[in-house]
Amino acid sequence: MEGLAQALVTGILIGGLYVAISVGFSLAFGVLDVVDLAVGMWVVLGAYAGVKAHDWFGVDPFIFLPVTFVVFGLFGWLLGPLIYRVRTSRYALPALMGLAFTFGVATLIRGGMLTVFGYTPRTVQTDIVSGSWSLFGIVMPAIRVVGFLFAVIAVAAFLFFLYFTRTGLAVRAVAQNKESAGLMGVDVKRISSLVYAIYTGLTAMAGMLMGAVYSMTPELGLRYTLFAFFVVVLAGLGSVLGVLVAGLFLGILQALTTTYVGADYTLMTVFVVLFVILLVLPQGVSKFAKAVRT
Amino acid sequence: MSSDDSVRKRAKRGPERRGAATTSMSSATTTTKTAEAPTTGPRGRTIRMAGLIAFAVIALTLPLWSTPYWIRIATGVALWAGLALSWNVICGYAGYISFGHVGFFGIGAYTTAILMQPDHGWPFFATLPVGIVIAAVFAVITGWPALRLKGAYFAIATWAIAEAVREFTTVADWTGGAGGLTLPIGPGSNYFYYVMLIAAAIAYVLCYALLERSRFGYRVKAVRDNEPAARAQGIDATKVKIQAYVLSAVIPAVLGGINAYWITFINPQSVLNTIITDQLVVMVLVGGLGHAWGPAFGAAVLFLVNEQFLSSFGSSTSYIAMVGVIVMLVVLFLPDGVVSIWGRSRRTRLVRQLLGRAADDFRSGNAAGSGGGR
Repeated sequence: MEGLAQALVTGILIGGLYVAISVGFSLAFGVLDVVDLAVGMWVVLGAYAGVKAHDWFGVDPFIFLPVTFVVFGLFGWLLGPLIYRVRTSRYALPALMGLAFTFGVATLIRGGMLTVFGYTPRTVQTDIVSGSWSLFGIVMPAIRVVGFLFAVIAVAAFLFFLYFTRTGLAVRAVAQNKESAGLMGVDVKRISSLVYAIYTGLTAMAGMLMGAVYSMTPELGLRYTLFAFFVVVLAGLGSVLGVLVAGLFLGILQALTTTYVGADYTLMTVFVVLFVILLVLPQGVSKFAKAVRT
Repeated sequence: MSSDDSVRKRAKRGPERRGAATTSMSSATTTTKTAEAPTTGPRGRTIRMAGLIAFAVIALTLPLWSTPYWIRIATGVALWAGLALSWNVICGYAGYISFGHVGFFGIGAYTTAILMQPDHGWPFFATLPVGIVIAAVFAVITGWPALRLKGAYFAIATWAIAEAVREFTTVADWTGGAGGLTLPIGPGSNYFYYVMLIAAAIAYVLCYALLERSRFGYRVKAVRDNEPAARAQGIDATKVKIQAYVLSAVIPAVLGGINAYWITFINPQSVLNTIITDQLVVMVLVGGLGHAWGPAFGAAVLFLVNEQFLSSFGSSTSYIAMVGVIVMLVVLFLPDGVVSIWGRSRRTRLVRQLLGRAADDFRSGNAAGSGGGR
């Protein structure tokens, strides 16, 4: 029982970070119509930004978070129009080409990071908190709690932007129907770039938090891509609530597998569950694809 | 997909545009013809036959006059040409991006390696059919459900499958875990050159016959271009897709088996590495998606670049980054692959026009067609 409660708490704390990674990804998917295969690379890149912030400038990564957001947002702002262009081009299969393009981005980031940082795992060093807290016999490493809180703040700010600002309204309109949104005077291209910028910034921030909890290597990007995809598939598009639930579910699933089966089997369990979800819910999935299209 | 298709798409601006993606049923076939437009007709046929025979003679006599280094390179080119071909079957012809092809490659490699361990002691050639069967069964089991998914879902599902295979081989005991397996030392490099060459050649002939010269090919392309219409014609789309998937799965299995015997030591890092999939994608994209001979060309170019890169810089990680850049550039500027450069000058002109035009694409309402490939 103790073990179960412990696993649940650990899972929720990590799940918060998965939500932060996936919520922007889900929106970018909805707006740009492209599954960004580089999502995990932004996570790892964000984590390395934290590592390097500490190494080079001696800045605490948690203070560095807003800078991360801005810097990676700029990257996204530059990259977004390219993806938009591929996606709306007159190529034979724009969806396939968009996928191939983000695959190229992911490969470039992975190769670049391996070249610059090598294979050695790194952890984001922070001085804000250390040790762990204990509550009713459940151990909560302080760093995970703080990371979770930061993730909650970031997601809350993101949701505020999405639901309580005029630009957020435009973003949701584009996600629902590009053509109509364009007719209503929304600059779809600008909104797409903006969404991609926010998404990369948010994901990199979440990655920095993730890097404080787990050690990172450039090779781990793929895992986070799959995790983000897992969450979005499970959630269904346009459902922010779904992302919240699915992200927490993924965290708990991971924690339970680690506790009861073994850490080696975590990934395999996640893959198998992802696969089964894709199989049992093809209707849900296709409905969700239709929601993007129309 | 094919260059011809996109040419047609560009030609058909306006309201028909959306339909253009779906109406060109035989695009890959016509592409092969148009790409070789100057060499059609009886005279062109002779030229092409002569070229093919010259190529065959050079390929077959290579060990007689070449150095071991170049034989090794040629073996690698044959291997990658075959792999790229198999990826082209599922992506270029069936229209499904698979990021899991390395899984089949690994299955073939591990099947051969395990069966050739001293306690089993199978002869090499007996292991290849086993690899084919296992890969085919695995493709049916995973493809039957996964092929119901579209676009990115299928891509990620196959990616997850390949990762699961890798995780499994890393964890399991009888695959040697992360340490890998050692195979008996094989015969010389000429042997592997010929085996690889013949396997790749058989794969090419098989795919060419099945996809360009049979009803099966038309069915596959019909399903790719418009699945509901294909179903309405009485085509069992699910069956066709699974057949194409199996076809594209057995080729890497065979090549994986040969490769395992060739390199004599395999582990998950070497035969189930994602970089293999990365390479396949870039080779096919560079060569030209949906072209019959594009992948072979892309594979040859990329493999030579790879070798050159490794010998001059000695870093395989910066090579990964370069592959990424190539993929991005090809998607942006040469969506039809390098093959499209010399096919027709009109095509390059169109590509250039496209570059200038892409910026104002949205305002002309092109976003409406953006869901096409899903």
